[in-house]
Amino acid sequence: MKMRTALLAAFVVALVLIVLLVSLREYYVAIALTVGAVILTRRELWYLMKKRKLPPFDERVRENMKKSARNGFIFFAAASAALMLFYTINLVYVTNRHPVQIMSGLFLAGGLVYLLSYVFYDRVEPKLDEKELRRLKAFLQVAGIAAGACIASFILHNVVAGLLGIEEPVFFVIAVILSPVAIAVGLIGSLVIFARGLVRKQLPSERVSQGDVVPE
Amino acid sequence: MKTRIKEYRAKYNLTQEKLAELVGVRRETIIFLEQGRYNPSLRLAHNVAKTLKTTIDEIFTFDE
Repeated sequence: MKMRTALLAAFVVALVLIVLLVSLREYYVAIALTVGAVILTRRELWYLMKKRKLPPFDERVRENMKKSARNGFIFFAAASAALMLFYTINLVYVTNRHPVQIMSGLFLAGGLVYLLSYVFYDRVEPKLDEKELRRLKAFLQVAGIAAGACIASFILHNVVAGLLGIEEPVFFVIAVILSPVAIAVGLIGSLVIFARGLVRKQLPSERVSQGDVVPE
Repeated sequence: MKTRIKEYRAKYNLTQEKLAELVGVRRETIIFLEQGRYNPSLRLAHNVAKTLKTTIDEIFTFDE
């Protein structure tokens, strides 16, 4: 019952957001939100049309939703914090955008992370073996740490340059060259493993029996 | 994890959808369980076993 109430609440919030976005003439965000909501709730909508009632929210669905919501929230919070930091230290690349656009972009990115996480827990995770899961975790950690290092280096570079009055090279190189490369490597590596799991038909146990994977 | 849900389903002439309805889960969850792609909670394992008139041990086996 709780899940149904939560779903209804999310539906009402999405509807209000869509109306708000259309009234603000942010049509592309409203369309993206609608498409995302339909993709996310496609099974519920289909069941509702077929049987005139909502499908059961069993433990597997609840577990997947909980994990995805956690990931989406962590990403949204981290992205908001980074954005506020950019505003604070006046890196003006973002400030000439309308706040509604920035907030919409943040919500969309958070929603995308939720969607990808849901697909991951629902479809991809069972098809990856231990080794691939460890590698995926390592790639995601590299991307996350590099993103943090990039922001920290930007600040440290400015602080050192401001305080000592010198052209500080170490943090500059970390922020401008090393961190973006590490982020790219981390994200591409994660996406490759994710895509591999998505297209794979067999489970790890089936592949072991065929000699494809050597158990440790 | 290996399961014998499919075997028991055939024995009682149940479709995945019907079993899902009896257990109170989605059909996808039954598919995942049959393929050994989802580790159920003790409650769900108990419900599946009870619906199929057998024991958890009989339905679910784990590789050492």
